[in-house]
Amino acid sequence: MKPARKKVLLVDDEPIVCERLRPALEKIGFYVESYTDGQKAVDRVMEESFDVLVTDLKMQKPDGLEVMEFVRQHSPATKVIIITGFATVDTAVETLKSGAVDFIAKPFKIRNLCDLIVKLTSEEAG
Amino acid sequence: MGVAPALRALLARRRQGNVDQLRETLNRFRALVEENDHVLELIADAGEKLGGEYVFDSKYLRDLAAELKDAAHAVVTNLNAISQDRYPDLLEALAKIDDAVGAALECRLVVPEAPFVVSLEDVGTEQLEVVGAKMARLGEVRNRLGFTVPEGFVVTTQACREFLEAAGVGEAVEVLRAHFMQGGETLEEESRRIREAILGARVPRSIVRAIRRELGRLVRSGDGEPLLAVRSSAVDEDGELSFAGQYETVLGVPPEGVVDAYRTVVASMYAPGVMRYRRLHTIPPGCGYMAVGILRMVPARASGVIYSLDPTAPERNTLVVSAARGLGKLVVEGGASVDRVEMSRDPAYHVVARRVAHKERMFVAVSGGGAVAEPVPDAERDAPAVSDEELNELAGSARRIEQYMKAAQDIEWAFDHEGRLFVLQARPLRMAVVSEPRGRDLSDIVRRYPVLMRGRGEVACRGIGSGPVCLVTDPEQLPAEVPPGAVLVVRAATPRIGGMLAGASAVLTDLGSATGHFAAVARDLRLPTIVDTGLATRILTGGTEVTVDAEENVVYEGRVEELLRYQLSRASSFEDAAEFRTLRRMLRRIAPLRLRDPTSPAFSAANCTTYHDVIRFAHEKAICELVEIGWVSPPAGVHYVRRLELPVPLDLILVDLGGGFHVEAGSTTATPEDLTSRPLVPVLEELTTGGAWETAPASMDLEGFMSSATRPMPLTGAQAARPEQNLAFVSGEYLHLSLRLGYHFNIVDTYLGNSPADNYIYFRFAGGVTELTRRSRRAALLKRILEGHGFVAEGRGDLVVGRIKGLDADAMVERLRMVGRLIGFTRQLDIHMRNDRLVDEYVDRFMSGRPFSSATLSADEEPEDKGDSEMSTSTEVLVLDDEPMVCERLKEHLERKGYRIEVFTESQKAVDRLAEKRFDVVITDLKMQGPDGLEVLRFVRDSGFGTQVIVITGYGTMDAAREAEYSGAFEFITKPFSSKALETTVRKAARKARKAKERTQR
Repeated sequence: MKPARKKVLLVDDEPIVCERLRPALEKIGFYVESYTDGQKAVDRVMEESFDVLVTDLKMQKPDGLEVMEFVRQHSPATKVIIITGFATVDTAVETLKSGAVDFIAKPFKIRNLCDLIVKLTSEEAG
Repeated sequence: MGVAPALRALLARRRQGNVDQLRETLNRFRALVEENDHVLELIADAGEKLGGEYVFDSKYLRDLAAELKDAAHAVVTNLNAISQDRYPDLLEALAKIDDAVGAALECRLVVPEAPFVVSLEDVGTEQLEVVGAKMARLGEVRNRLGFTVPEGFVVTTQACREFLEAAGVGEAVEVLRAHFMQGGETLEEESRRIREAILGARVPRSIVRAIRRELGRLVRSGDGEPLLAVRSSAVDEDGELSFAGQYETVLGVPPEGVVDAYRTVVASMYAPGVMRYRRLHTIPPGCGYMAVGILRMVPARASGVIYSLDPTAPERNTLVVSAARGLGKLVVEGGASVDRVEMSRDPAYHVVARRVAHKERMFVAVSGGGAVAEPVPDAERDAPAVSDEELNELAGSARRIEQYMKAAQDIEWAFDHEGRLFVLQARPLRMAVVSEPRGRDLSDIVRRYPVLMRGRGEVACRGIGSGPVCLVTDPEQLPAEVPPGAVLVVRAATPRIGGMLAGASAVLTDLGSATGHFAAVARDLRLPTIVDTGLATRILTGGTEVTVDAEENVVYEGRVEELLRYQLSRASSFEDAAEFRTLRRMLRRIAPLRLRDPTSPAFSAANCTTYHDVIRFAHEKAICELVEIGWVSPPAGVHYVRRLELPVPLDLILVDLGGGFHVEAGSTTATPEDLTSRPLVPVLEELTTGGAWETAPASMDLEGFMSSATRPMPLTGAQAARPEQNLAFVSGEYLHLSLRLGYHFNIVDTYLGNSPADNYIYFRFAGGVTELTRRSRRAALLKRILEGHGFVAEGRGDLVVGRIKGLDADAMVERLRMVGRLIGFTRQLDIHMRNDRLVDEYVDRFMSGRPFSSATLSADEEPEDKGDSEMSTSTEVLVLDDEPMVCERLKEHLERKGYRIEVFTESQKAVDRLAEKRFDVVITDLKMQGPDGLEVLRFVRDSGFGTQVIVITGYGTMDAAREAEYSGAFEFITKPFSSKALETTVRKAARKARKAKERTQR
């Protein structure tokens, strides 16, 4: 039997980021939902559990840290990756401390993120 | 105090002041070079972003513009500081470029400043906001792909905005828009009023004048009064949703009717059909502008439409042609009977099905305006409108455009009476049936295809392409052209091959980089490209059908139709996203280098139109200024300026900053024996005696650089200011060496004192601007050699920069000798680097210390490295990570490979252990309690055992990673990493450590 598709939730207020990532992830077999509004993503997390959350850091309320905090409370199994254009070592350390499994600075290579998500979701599988 | 001592004191102070000033100038020059490099790196990086591998957003574009601006300004500020503000006009040129880049950046939502009309010759998709989607694509088809399109010009969105303002419809449009947003249904009345207001308004005189000027040009270029097609080209047209056929197109317009037709087309923005369409697809009015194409009508013998893929049944994999006699009006508007031909999509393009219609009427353009139906002669009514040969040409053209646009195409075409094919319009085809496999299924399906290569090399341009392999192993024997649709597989990505890419469907190379020139060419052609695979030419055989997925970086055997269809059916390709178009627009004002020849009168500040021009100009002039400091206005009292007498024809001028050489009063020359500059001596020894000059006659060819670089030079100011001057600023510990050998610049900036912490070497090699063919090879070679000697080396485009610091005196001298050899070596590179396969051998030869050996290359006399397995058993590795899990995993894995491992979870203990025992390789985490990774790294480095350090880091710690590189880490590995990659790195590090050890024992 074919295993169920892993689910990825993308949040970035820059539409281009969702537009580029979504098809790339779908192409390698993920189910993807993407939102440019953090609140909508939070609403979806109430209804559905995702394997991975990829979120931008700096957004209108709720921002990336808040989305992550919410997800960690309501869906602790979801792994969180932070992507941001405001990357410093301090932000990296802070986000990792607050529970993100990884932190990627923009611009990044699509493949790096895809590989990371593949790895995170296959670890979970065993 | 007497007069004489006071004077002496004053003079002494002046002397000191002059030395300080000279130092300041040199510091400025170094800063200029650094910023210059920074600009080049930013340009190369930005070019790489166009390949689609990276996700970037508008913030990146803003940051890029700001960073470039700062760096370019710093270059100019430093030049003006060096030259006492001799180049104020460079600041003006820079300000214009800043504005242009800023405008390109802001272009997304505003109508860009543009002339009212632009010629089709100057149009591409980066001007989408100026000329509208339809004309942008037509320009691209003409200017990039070389198809014949009708002559003409575009009345821009800027003109439209001006016209609408003059018509005074702004307020009405706002009202309409508000009603639309509130869900109002009865918009007919409002849009009708706007339409009528536009139709009743005068087109502003300045626009009319601009149109007439271009029309005059069109009339003069042909015989007789042309008939024109006036076509809509809206900015929001054919984007996410197609407005196909909703806007007006007026055919057969005589020149005097163009302005009226223009008004009609602009007014059609508010046609009733358009409003219904907007309602249907929820596209509010009032957010786009209408550009209008004015094109000479093709006197068509036959015309029609071709779909590059049957939109109703994509799985059939066929092209569909509709053809009528005369103008294509019948085909486009539907209704009448036209020929319909279905053809296979593979290059044979055989006809699968054909229906020839009985044609009673055809449309022809008539002078005086419009198109009228004429009867088709009886005898021709049942003949096909186009021949099989023409069908073949149509199919090939459609596939070519499709491949470039990366989406199935809907193309309007015409053949004139001479049989010439014209492309009238090309746009992405809307698929009626979404039949492509969904993501999940796709990844399952492609798994069934045999994989020839996976994860090798770097994607230079994303996309999917398929075809038979065209294998080129010997770059000297390139085929005349790549067969259309072939996958080109070559050893090296050289610009020469760039010229033959046009027909290829994908490219794979063994060598090369995603920031190289070749990659830029491939991106320009939107060719799916993977470079630096290492083995493509060895594992792929000519003629084999393969599919290149330059998204997942996989090469499949055979044609993976599912993947190809997946690509064609995507709504748009990444190149069409606003951010990509913005970046392309920005780069046009950033990257091209137009100032190439420093001896040309056009080489002036006022002619700088891009940042690249500015930094090139500033760099050239800065070197001239430095030369003049030495000769024209030598600092009073300290102008120990001498020409160095050398046994080789290298004309080198020395400027002493204190303690650099012994000075004989009254002499204008110095000899090598006079030199006391610690860093200069070893560089010169190798440069002049290493054999670099023995083949001088051979190097005189091609670029004739020796004739310019080494010509003995009269010691006059004017001559000395020539840019070919070789110059060394020296003190006892410091050397700044600036050599221009032909078209290359070598700069060595180094300090060699008593404290290792102060010591450094900066080596910079910049390739020339006119010598194209061998750049990428040369850059790769230099980088490898520098890295092989422990430098942190970066190569971007033409530029290679190597840095190393913190070495003790002996290690410094060794590296400086290497640098001397390397400069001599680069002098010869162009002669010898004709063959790509020599790269490896050249690196080996250089590393073996005999770069100028005359032995044939393939006969390598050096004993080979010991086998890896043998080596690993004697390799001592220390692993430090505060996660015990990580340590255990690494230990287990590396021990299995035969390494001897000691693990530590506390960094202090590891440091203690490192103090008492020599390890070959240290693997350390970056963030830890106690001494962190960087401190461990420094400790290891300072201990001087040649131990190599591999730093493990997460993605987010780039700055620290950069610092680690700078402090001389062998490599850093980002988490997550594969054990295989780690093992490879450990093996390489161990080899290097062993070599370092052997050197110290020697």
